[in-house]
Amino acid sequence: MSDAPDTGAKLGFRLTLPAQLLVLFISVFPLLMQLYISLTDWSPLTGAAWPQAWQFWNTFDNYIHLIGDARLWSALGRTMFIIAICVPIEFLLGLGLATLFVDDFPGKRVAYSILIAPMMVVPAVAGYMFFMLFQSGGPVNDILSWFTPTPVAVAWLSAPDLALAAVMVADIWQWTPLMFLILLAGLVGVPADQLKAAALLGASPWQRFVSIVIPRMKTIIIIALAIRVIECFKIFDTLFIMTGGGPGVATETISVYVYKVTTNDLIWGYVAAIALAILVVLSVAAVWAMKRMAR
Amino acid sequence: MSTIDLQHLVKRFGAFTALKTMDLSIEDGEFMALLGPSGCGKSTTMNMIAGMETPTQGRILFGDRDMAGVPMGRRGVGFVFQNYAIFTHMSVRRNLDYGLRMTGRPAAEIARRTSAMADLLGLTDLLDRPAQGLSVNILQRLAIGRSAVMEPAIFLLDEPLSNVDAAFRAVMRTELKALQRQFRQTMVYVTHDQLEAMTMADRIAVMDHGVLQQVGTPLQVYNTPANTFVARFIGSPGMNLFTGRLTQTAAGLAVDLGPLGISPPLGDAQAAAANGAKGDVIYGFRPEEVALADADHPAMTLPLTLTERIGARTILHLGTPGAEVRAVFQSGTPFPPGQMRLAPAPAAVRLFDAASGTALQAA
Repeated sequence: MSDAPDTGAKLGFRLTLPAQLLVLFISVFPLLMQLYISLTDWSPLTGAAWPQAWQFWNTFDNYIHLIGDARLWSALGRTMFIIAICVPIEFLLGLGLATLFVDDFPGKRVAYSILIAPMMVVPAVAGYMFFMLFQSGGPVNDILSWFTPTPVAVAWLSAPDLALAAVMVADIWQWTPLMFLILLAGLVGVPADQLKAAALLGASPWQRFVSIVIPRMKTIIIIALAIRVIECFKIFDTLFIMTGGGPGVATETISVYVYKVTTNDLIWGYVAAIALAILVVLSVAAVWAMKRMAR
Repeated sequence: MSTIDLQHLVKRFGAFTALKTMDLSIEDGEFMALLGPSGCGKSTTMNMIAGMETPTQGRILFGDRDMAGVPMGRRGVGFVFQNYAIFTHMSVRRNLDYGLRMTGRPAAEIARRTSAMADLLGLTDLLDRPAQGLSVNILQRLAIGRSAVMEPAIFLLDEPLSNVDAAFRAVMRTELKALQRQFRQTMVYVTHDQLEAMTMADRIAVMDHGVLQQVGTPLQVYNTPANTFVARFIGSPGMNLFTGRLTQTAAGLAVDLGPLGISPPLGDAQAAAANGAKGDVIYGFRPEEVALADADHPAMTLPLTLTERIGARTILHLGTPGAEVRAVFQSGTPFPPGQMRLAPAPAAVRLFDAASGTALQAA
C-alpha cells in the first residue's frame, strides 16, 4: 500500500472491475448474439433454442442475400429521403422559432408550452391523430376545401406519394420542438456582449447571425442534427400507425421493413444480418459526418 | 474627433430611475472618467452614448449631430467591454479586421489598416493565433485595436481594468493613457476605481445614485469637493467629516464639534465661506492634511484606537465610536502614546452645508 504512488488507482480499478465487466457484458452480449444469429438461418419456428442456431449455419448467405435485396435498398433509400427532407425542415423551423424566443414578448411562456407540447405526445397517439386528420373526409381536406371552389377529397394515406408526404408532416410536427429546445439552449448561450460588440463594429443583424451566432452554436447544432438524423433513421411508430408502411411499400422505411421481415416472414437470421449491417454503416457514417462538421 | 453633449439626459427602467437629469459636455480629444460606486448610473450613461440604451428623456449630441435614432453601428463609437467581448472562435486577425470586413471595405484597405493597427499594438506576431486562450493584456489590446481600427471619433471604455490584478493594473493605466495620446480620440472611461480616474482622466465626472455630483479635473475634485459625497468618495481614506456648530472663539471663528471639542480657528477663506451659513455646518479635512500639535496650539485631543502601517504611510484611527477621525502620516513620524493632539491645516479645512451637504463657498 505504501510503496507505489498509484496503488490507489490500481485498487480502484480492481474494485470496479466486476461492475465494468458487467456493463461491458450487457452492452456487448446482444451484439455478439446478433452476429452469431446473423450467420445462421435460424428462426424461432425451427423449434431450436437460439444457442442451437449453429445447426442452421449458413456462413455469409444472409449478407450475400442482403446485397441483392431490392426491397431493402428501396426502404433504405426512402428512409434517407425522409431524413433529407424532414431534418433540414425541422432544423430551420426550430432555429427560426428559437431566434424568436431569445427575446421576451408577451405570452412567451404560454407560447413556449404550446410549442413543445407535440414532443410530449406519445408517438402512437400522434400516429392515430394524423391518421384521423388525413382521412379523405378528414379535417385536412376540410380546411383545404375553404381555399378551393370544389370540396377537396384527397385520399392522403392511400396515394403513394401523398402518404409519404403525410408521414413526413407528422414527423416534422412532432420533432421540430426538440430541435427548437436544443437550439434555444444554444442560442441563449451566445454571449450578449459579443453580439453588442459586433453591432458596434457595424455588423448587420444577418452578419452577426452568420459570424457570431452560428459559429458559437456549432457544437450544439451538430448534436441536434446528429440526434435527429439517428432518430429519423429509426422512424417507425407514428408512421406504422398511419400507413403500416403502405400503400404497398410506399412508406416502408428500414424499421418497417425489418419489423415485417421479423413478424411476418419470421426469418430472424436475415433480420440480424440487416440490423448489424445497418448498425455498422450508420456508426461509420455518423462518426465521419460529425468529424467533418466539427472542423 | 468629436465633442459629446449630454443634455437633460434621463433614463428610467420601469419604476427605477437609473439616471436623473444629467448634463455634461465632453470636449474634443478629452479623456473623461465617469466615476462612482456601483449603481450610480455611470454605465447607463455610457450605454446611452453608445446607443445600446435609449434615453427616456434628453438629447445626446456628437458635435452638433443629434444621436436620437442613430443605431449603434452607425455612431462611429468604439467600445471596449469590461470582459473585452473578444470573438474567441476567430483568430486575432479576424477579430482585428471584423469591423472593416462587416462594413465591406476593399481587401487591400483591410489588410493595410489591420497590419498598421497590429504593429501599433504589438500584435503582429499573434495575428494568426486563435483568440482563445490569450493573456488578459493581449485580449485588452486586441479589444482596443478592434475598435480603434475603425477610427472612431469617440472611444468608450467600460471598466476595462476591473478583471486585472493590482500589479498589472498599474502597467495598463500607463499603457491606456499612452494609447489615448496616440489615437487623440475623445475618450469616456467608466470606472469605480478613483485611482484609475485620478491618474488617467483630464476631467472626472463623479456620480452617485443617478445624479452627477461634480465635474472637474482630478485635483479640483480632490481639493475642492462639491459636496460631502465627493469628499468622502475621493481620497483613500476619504475626507474626515463632522457635523458641528459655528462658534466665535477668542482666536476667531471656529466649529464646535461636540465630542471632538472645538476645532482650531478657521482660516480666512473658510471663515469667509462660513459667514453665509448659520448654525450647523459639516467640518471636513483630509486625513493627509493634519499635523501633531504642541500643547500651546489649538487642537483636537483624541485617543488612538488603531494603527495601520502600509509601507510609506501610516494610517491612524482616532477618536471615539461615532466620532472617528483618520489621519495619514509618513512612516517614521514619532507618535506619542495614548491621547494625541491633532490640528488640521487651516487652508485644507472644507465646510459643507449641514442640511444639503454642498460645499460652502465664499460669496
